[in-house]
Amino acid sequence: MSAPGRAGSMQPAASQALAEPVPAPPSRPPAARRKRRKLGASGGKHTVLIVLSAMFALPLAWMIGTSVKTAQQALTLPVVWWPHPFLWSNYPQLFAALPYFRFFLNTFAYAGITIVGVCISSSLVAYGFSRLRWPGRDGVFYVMLMTLILPFVCTLIPLFVMYKRFGWIGTYLPLEVPTFFGSSVFSTFLLRQFFMTIPQSLSDAARIDGASEFYIYSRIILPLAKPAMATVILFQFIYCWNDYLGPLVYISNQNSYPLSLGLALILGDYTTNWAWVMAGATAATVPIVILFFLTQRTFIQGITLTGQKG
Amino acid sequence: MSGTTTIRATGGAGKSGRVTPSRLIRRRQTRLGLLFISPWIIGFCVFYLYPFFATLYYSFTSFTGVGNPVLTGLANFDGLIHDAIFRTALFNTFYYTIIEVPFSTAVALGLALLLNMNVRGQAIYRTLFYIPSIVPVVASSLIFVWIFQPSFGIVNSLLSDIHVTGPSWFFSATWSKPTFILLGLWGLGQPMVIYLAALQGVPREMYEVAALEGAGPWQRLRKVTIPMISPVILFNVIISLVLSIQYFTQAQVIESPPGSPGTSTMFYVTYYYQQAFQDLHLGYASAMSFLLFILVLIITVILLKTSSRWVYYENEQR
Repeated sequence: MSAPGRAGSMQPAASQALAEPVPAPPSRPPAARRKRRKLGASGGKHTVLIVLSAMFALPLAWMIGTSVKTAQQALTLPVVWWPHPFLWSNYPQLFAALPYFRFFLNTFAYAGITIVGVCISSSLVAYGFSRLRWPGRDGVFYVMLMTLILPFVCTLIPLFVMYKRFGWIGTYLPLEVPTFFGSSVFSTFLLRQFFMTIPQSLSDAARIDGASEFYIYSRIILPLAKPAMATVILFQFIYCWNDYLGPLVYISNQNSYPLSLGLALILGDYTTNWAWVMAGATAATVPIVILFFLTQRTFIQGITLTGQKG
Repeated sequence: MSGTTTIRATGGAGKSGRVTPSRLIRRRQTRLGLLFISPWIIGFCVFYLYPFFATLYYSFTSFTGVGNPVLTGLANFDGLIHDAIFRTALFNTFYYTIIEVPFSTAVALGLALLLNMNVRGQAIYRTLFYIPSIVPVVASSLIFVWIFQPSFGIVNSLLSDIHVTGPSWFFSATWSKPTFILLGLWGLGQPMVIYLAALQGVPREMYEVAALEGAGPWQRLRKVTIPMISPVILFNVIISLVLSIQYFTQAQVIESPPGSPGTSTMFYVTYYYQQAFQDLHLGYASAMSFLLFILVLIITVILLKTSSRWVYYENEQR
């Protein structure tokens, strides 16, 4: 979508979006006026930005604050801004009341298996859509992209009936098996975009040496695609961590609940104790936020890589 | 097609210039290509194609999940036309979509433009705006129920400080949908980051030329910035539309019983879910989902068709 000259620079520019500040383009008014305007404007800009970031940060701050209050303190008016004392015991109490570790384990298992499925199938499919030339390739690729706009409810009932026949209801299989068959269009798309950037001459050289296509895929292309694979793994993990709808439909036994369903459970059970509800929300949020800070670059690269393609 | 006469160097594969029997290579590549994408082909048939047509078939039947579906012609569609709750669900979904999509697009773009200006501490602001979008959806729903809690929530408490009596938000038939829209706006970090990256891809010379020609900031925005990033806007608008029309999770987590207060948060998929998985009206629900597909299709086609008027592609060959 970009001019040929810039095509190569697109990706680095995108990854810079969150990594480091890039001076903005706007115009250059005459120097004297520029300086005066800059002072006034930057004050205004900062005021707007500070107010906005306060609005974005408040819900999270309030979540953490409430999670260390006593049940009564959470329901005190006027509101208590700074909890006293910090009641960390809400966390162990909540973990004791609900099988939280079980929920975490279930979520990790769900994420782990689907990550394997996505890595294998999406990379194979992406390879077929990018490193080989065959008639109708791009048409089939668009068909795959079109499945993105198909509402999930349009396939849900027959799938449910089918899984019921397989005896899969109540297990994670309905959520795991499809990932081994390229169900993650997002990952396939992302990997294809990445594979396209690898010079074709690399494959040609290997072919002349008599390497099989699978050898080229597994020994040449995949090792080069490590950063893209990291993005895919990261996003799949977050997808599973977040996924509420899939488990809601297929998982009914509380022991098999993932974090998302378990978390929704405390709203029903402990509406009177908001400190516990917020402790649960914090416990589900903090790991993801930490993961974000550890992998910021991979994160942003992934979002922009998929978003850039209009 | 006769193949014996076509002997030319294959497209990109053989840059060496040597003449190769292209048909052989092409056939080999086709076979391999299909082999590599075969997991997806199987998945597409089993998890998309078959269930899609089965849904279409079920929508003309009465079906409870046990036994065989019984053909009932157009009865389900006739029922939907006369179903007041269905109409409410359709209205609620439109209400949410029509406000949420333009608002979130404008706010995400506005934040991206703000961040794209040369401000100090830009990285910190960016992170602050982005973080809410990675908060798990159930967690963000719980957070919003709490901060918008009618008597003890921080929002109404702050409102009462300025002598405004806040509404019951999620628990008021009038305010429930706007509150869900606020929840949606809180998590728009993803499109914001995409817009920001797109803005940074606009060549600086274009602004310099525009400024030389005497274009003010507003004109530069309308005549340079927006056209240059319009493909990205189109992509985001489509995604956000498709997601809004299927709005479900937050409402399901927050409202109990789902759809309350009254029927003010009975969204399309909320009603579908009730029909399918609580009342086991699988035929009826299938008809609903098929109509949803038609709706999404129409909206997407209209957007893509009209997009040529406002979306600008730098090089048209793609």
